[in-house]
Amino acid sequence: MKPINRREAGQKAALAATGLLAWLSQGNGALVNGALAQELTDGELVPFLNEPRTPPNRLDWEVLDTWLTPQDQVFSVQHYGVPKFDYDSYRLDVGGLVDKSLSLTLADIKARPKSDVTMVLECAGNGSNDGFMNAVCNNRWSGTPLMDLLDQCGINSATTEIVFFGKDTQEEVLRPGTKRELKVEVPFGRSMSIDDARRLAPLLAYERNGEPIEHRNGAPIRLIVPGWYGVANVKWLSRIECRDRRYMGRYMARDYVTVRGERQGDEVVFVETSVTRINLKSVVARVTRKPTENEKIPLHAFGVAWDDGTGIERVEVKVDEGPWQPTNLDVENRSQFGWTFFSIELPPVSAGEHTIVSRAIDAKGRIQPTAEDDEIALKRTYWEAYQQWPRSFSVEA
Amino acid sequence: MCGLVCQRNSYARFFFVMYTIFGAFVGVQIRNLCAQESAQESTKLGSVRGTVRYVPNPAKSWRLGRYYIANAKTGELAEAVVALTGRDLALTSTEREAQTVVVDQKNFQFTPETVALRAGDRIRFLNSDDHAHNVRTEHDDQAFNVTMPPGEEHVETFAVGAGINNPYRIDCVFHSAMRAWVYVFDHPWYQLTAKDGKFELVNIPPGEYRLEVVHPAGSLRTRQSIVVTAGKTDEVEIKLTMPD
Repeated sequence: MKPINRREAGQKAALAATGLLAWLSQGNGALVNGALAQELTDGELVPFLNEPRTPPNRLDWEVLDTWLTPQDQVFSVQHYGVPKFDYDSYRLDVGGLVDKSLSLTLADIKARPKSDVTMVLECAGNGSNDGFMNAVCNNRWSGTPLMDLLDQCGINSATTEIVFFGKDTQEEVLRPGTKRELKVEVPFGRSMSIDDARRLAPLLAYERNGEPIEHRNGAPIRLIVPGWYGVANVKWLSRIECRDRRYMGRYMARDYVTVRGERQGDEVVFVETSVTRINLKSVVARVTRKPTENEKIPLHAFGVAWDDGTGIERVEVKVDEGPWQPTNLDVENRSQFGWTFFSIELPPVSAGEHTIVSRAIDAKGRIQPTAEDDEIALKRTYWEAYQQWPRSFSVEA
Repeated sequence: MCGLVCQRNSYARFFFVMYTIFGAFVGVQIRNLCAQESAQESTKLGSVRGTVRYVPNPAKSWRLGRYYIANAKTGELAEAVVALTGRDLALTSTEREAQTVVVDQKNFQFTPETVALRAGDRIRFLNSDDHAHNVRTEHDDQAFNVTMPPGEEHVETFAVGAGINNPYRIDCVFHSAMRAWVYVFDHPWYQLTAKDGKFELVNIPPGEYRLEVVHPAGSLRTRQSIVVTAGKTDEVEIKLTMPD
């Protein structure tokens, strides 16, 4: 397997497309520059069949060539709406089981030691639907380390987990339609164990790719948890609490709960778990072709793989019912929690309709499952949709 | 007390009689107008047709424009809204039965993305996804916020013709990338461009008008004056570009 650099993996052939090239070369895309435009002539984009339009603020797979995602392709999902508030009067409160509570201004937070992490941020529902396969991005987040701040506050030894609340609130109805129905206004919240917090080193982030975080993405302060799905990265952070009891808010304990059947002997037992770690995943971003030779069409595939920081060991690609073939992994742009580009020149195919699919294998030997494998097929909720993602295309001679 | 009630009753009777007379008068006028229009020969009306094209702006790109433009060289623009504006258009148009347009939420997209309606028409929103969606707008004339579990539908009547410059922007409160635009007119001279960028507005009373064109997905906009001549079809070429 030959390592490749980003230039080869991300640009040389994969972006090449007659239709797309024509579009971009007329000044319609932000990607075209002299060197790249020259390289784009290497192939022709083969559009996937029945591919929904990419909306604004979602990853645009067809034109992906930057390791760090541009702002206009960064997704945002919210559950209690986007709160409106004044940054000048913003405070982040730190309390609960700590020796010293704090109420920090944005300036207080920015005055603290700064750190950054490059990581994939993926919505836990990403991949659950043909039109919801682009709620993922790769960014460099900058802010101040959470645990340094909490340690300075003095974490009480009784603390078992840390709870993070956003400024977004909504009325929740518990036990609806029963005599014990309860309506209560609550803030959006998520929690993590103190051990997870020490291991993952979350950030209280205020910059994305060197720019202030946009409001829709959680400004002024967003919790950034490397390797965990987007829902854990609490936006518009308002309060951090050290607690000695499990937080059971809706998005920790009732929603974003994966219900999955597990085989125990001859039985299937359903288990409910809260969505946390990102699963091993890969996606073919696009396929390009070259002119037909001897009635066969040479193809090139380009894609992306990511995980929870365990490490992408290799990515393989399969066309139709052919064998799994090893791809070349980008060696230039790598980080523990960031995504990895892969690329492969495929054996030429006959004219007609084909499918292509990728699978990632991580450093622990785990293999990205198919939709038919138990861990996906027995899953009854749509979160954590990390199954292999076959894509269809058609080529003419 | 009794006198006050009687007085009120006499006021009520007076207003009822006046309302009936006025209503009948307006009704007669509307019927007359309709009769006049239906009696008009096509030679007394005019048409305008043309093609809307996209012209790239070197200073500002439109990455997602590729979904609306099949041929980048010639630039024919689909799903642009074309409409006459100004000049008492509502008074010179005939009424028609309200219609219902279906807008589905499928694959996390509103389909169709852009809709043009006549005031009084309805949209039947569907949710064909396995996920919960929501239809919401905060338009000044009409606001709604309806959560739609999978398989649910919601019918909304758009009573106010807010025009080409004031569409109802529809979104899903859960999935911020989902968007749709509903343009509502109080007259019949509007259309969405076809895949080849073409449109045709027919049966227009002769006169001077403004012809406005917008493409909400790219925030593209232009307007021009046209003169509609009885018995003739005016041909226009419209070019849209990204604003700097």
